[in-house]
Formats: sequence, structure tokens, C-alpha cells
Amino acid sequence: MADRAIGVWLSIAARARSEGTTVGVRHAVTACGEAIGAGAVLSMSGSDGSHEPVFATDPRSDELEDLQATLGQGPSAEVIDGLGPVLEGELASSQALARWPEFSPAAVARGVAAVFAVPVGVGAARLGVLSLYRDWAGPLSRDQFNALLLYADAVLMLALDERGGLAPGAVDLVGEGFTERRAEVHQAAGMVSVQLGVSLTDALVAMRARAFAEGRTISQVAADVVARRLSFSLPDYSPRGWDAPPGEQADDEHREGGE
Amino acid sequence: MNSSDRQVWRAFVQLADTLTADFDVIDFLHTLAEHCVDLLGVSACGILLADHTGGLNLVAASTEQARLVEMSQAAEGPCPEAYRTRMPVSCPDLAAVRERWPDFAAAAVSAGFAAVHALPMRLHGEAIGAMSLYSARPTEISGQVAELGQALADVATIGILHERTLRRREVVTEQLQKALDSRITIEQAKGMIAERFQVTVGEAFVLIRSYARAHGLKLAGTARAITEGRLTITRPD
Repeated sequence: MADRAIGVWLSIAARARSEGTTVGVRHAVTACGEAIGAGAVLSMSGSDGSHEPVFATDPRSDELEDLQATLGQGPSAEVIDGLGPVLEGELASSQALARWPEFSPAAVARGVAAVFAVPVGVGAARLGVLSLYRDWAGPLSRDQFNALLLYADAVLMLALDERGGLAPGAVDLVGEGFTERRAEVHQAAGMVSVQLGVSLTDALVAMRARAFAEGRTISQVAADVVARRLSFSLPDYSPRGWDAPPGEQADDEHREGGE
Repeated sequence: MNSSDRQVWRAFVQLADTLTADFDVIDFLHTLAEHCVDLLGVSACGILLADHTGGLNLVAASTEQARLVEMSQAAEGPCPEAYRTRMPVSCPDLAAVRERWPDFAAAAVSAGFAAVHALPMRLHGEAIGAMSLYSARPTEISGQVAELGQALADVATIGILHERTLRRREVVTEQLQKALDSRITIEQAKGMIAERFQVTVGEAFVLIRSYARAHGLKLAGTARAITEGRLTITRPD
């Protein structure tokens, strides 16, 4: 089962190497678009429902994502509002035209036949949406959908690390990246968010930072938190401009990575 | 119809009803897991769905023992096997599989289980997950119980994927992913409540679930409201 993830990380590492830089969010977005044969865009979302495209592989995808953000309409816009992925393999179908009356015709007019959008986040910890704009119609295969979710995981990990000021090599991420769906990691994220008074997303940032600093995995850190062998306190983590805890201040401003 | 038949009949009617009204997949699966325990005479039931990495995730269980969650995360064991082969896997005595699945067997035995029966959750020849039935005593599962168990696993599959939308593959995929993600939100909410009240995550789950039931709310919606700071549940004394 780890093979799937390793292939994804290798493709991301290859992108970064070809540019001669360390692995970043945009390499994951680019590699995702290449793997599936589509234009790819990453948008960040805020708890206020904001939708801000931050990186696109091509001008057409960029323009269409902007259109979705402006209209508040389309698959990516629905991912930001809702809970799960929105997949539309037939954008020119009457159903899709009725569902997004302004976005669908605009995308079809620009030669896009299918749009696939998945959340970048886990549970209630949401960073944004990863969207694909493809020239030809038809559903994603199961393998392609799994790959899209794995790329979204990679984008999440890289975005958390950029936010935490970390720049791990691709090798560190291969072993780490795909264990974060374990129940303990999410339980620990909930505990740490209360300990630090920060959002779940920033709790994950703090846990990743701790794991990275100690050369451990986030699962190991999470196990210590749940067993109450480890607790996080604010002095270590205060100055970086954490998100307000949910419910106290609505303002949830996500910076584009690149610390 | 004898009383046990009537019980089965009632369970199916209740599950069918859940499909029509105000449907929530996580609540539905919890109800189903509880029915399995009652109807099949087992000690615990877990419902696991495969995610995009190929790993199985516990999305609902009759009892939220931490150990049950832990077992469900074992990479090898009867559930991953049932999922992979799309066939039932029976372990009437866990002591006999200690070498084959050491991590799973150790976790299951220390949780007080002696036997496990894993059923695949299948749709159109593809597996989407597995249902696990645990017994406290070593026991063979009878043909009749296995058949009823598989029928309940099939109901679970249809419940997750919504009968009406099965024709559209993309909707199936979206539904599965939503169920997995709702489960993660519940884990996050458990952590928040555990820390706030200084209780275990298992106790936190009981608090969240009791709150949801007392207020007629869905489990997933309650968890989401907690994680978003829209709901504060009070500590019971």
C-alpha cells in the first residue's frame, strides 16, 4: 500500500530536481497535473469561506479557478463549501450546465471537458482545494482518483511544513507522508489544538515541526500526545502568527507558503 | 416467524428507514454495527473502509474501544485479507493465527477477543472495505450467522453508497471519501474533548455521542460543530 505513495513522492522529487530546488507545494501541484494529464491549480481557503488561487500550472486553469472564486460557483467552490471531493467528468452535460450555469459554459468554451476537485486537508483541518482541468471528457479511473488524493496529501504535508518554516528533503517525506490518516494523529491534533489554543491545521503544523526536529514521525509524536507523555505549550510556539482558535476569532488568514 | 426472525426483520426495516429520511452515513453505520452485535451474537463489530492509500480505516463500531481502533489499523490481519480477496476470512481461534498476523493477534487478544470473522464489503465485484465481527470466546461461526452477517455487510455497502446513485461512479467515489473524512473529524473532536475535560479519547467519544443523542443530532455534524468551535458540550458530573 505504501508503493502508491512512494511513486507520488518520487514524481514530486523529480520535478523539484529538474528545477534545482528543494521540494515545495508547487512541485506537487505540477506533478499531479502531469500524472493525470490535466491543468492543476491549488487554492487556499479560509474559515470565512474565502477562495484564493495560489498556484496554477497554466494560464487557462488559473483563469477558470479565478472565475470559480469570483462566482463562488463550480467544483472547487463546492469543495470549499462542502465536505468532500467534487468530480465532474462531463462538464458539457445538461446536469453540469444546470449545476454551475455560469462556470460550466465558460470552461467548455475554453476547451475544458472535465473538472476534478479534492480538498487539501484532513477532517476539519482544511487548507484549500486541489483542482484539475482536463481537455477530454470521462470519469477518473479509480487509480487516478487515488493518485489525486495522494497528491492532495502531499500538498497538505508540504503546505504544513512551509507554514511551520520547515524544508524537509523529499526522502524525509516519503516515510512520513501517508501515515497521517491514522486515528491517533487526528485525536492528537484535537488535543494539541486545545493545548495551544490554535486551529487544527496549526496543531498539525506544530506536531510536524516537533516530529521533524526530533527526527521522528508525526504518528510517534501523536502516540505520545494521546498517552499524555507529551504536551505542547504556547511559549514554544507563539510568535509565528498562529490562527485563532475556532470560534474566538473568525479571521483565518492563510499565507502562501515560502518561509 | 419466531422472535429471532422478528428481530432481524425489525433491524432491516429500521436500516431501510435510515436510507430514506435525514440520512447520515456515520450514524447509519453505528446503528448497523450495534444491530450486528445483537443479531449475530458477537461481542463487537467494526466497519472498515479502504482509503486511497489502500489502508483500512475504522469508520464505525459497536463499541469504541481504543483497542478496536488499534486492531483495525493493523496492516495485516483478517480484515485486510477479506478486503483484498473479497472473500470472508474466519479465525475461530486467534491463538492459531499468532504467527500469521502477530500484531493483529496480540492487539485482539489483549482487548479480550478470542475469535474474529471478517466479511468483505463488495459492490460490483470491487471491495470497498470489510466488516469485522469479534467474539470473546473461541467459536466457529455457523453458516446461518455468516449468511446474515454478509447480508448486513451488503446493507452497509448500499447504505454508504446510496442506492439511488450507484449508477454514477463518480458519486460513489465522492460518498466513500466523505464517509472517511467525517470519521477523521470525529477523531479530531474526540481529541479536543479529551483534552478539555482531561478524559481518555474513548470517554470523549461517549460524551460526544451522548450529547448528540440527547439533542437529536447527527454524530458527524456534532463533531464538526465541536471542531469549528460552534458547539461546547458540558462536562457531565
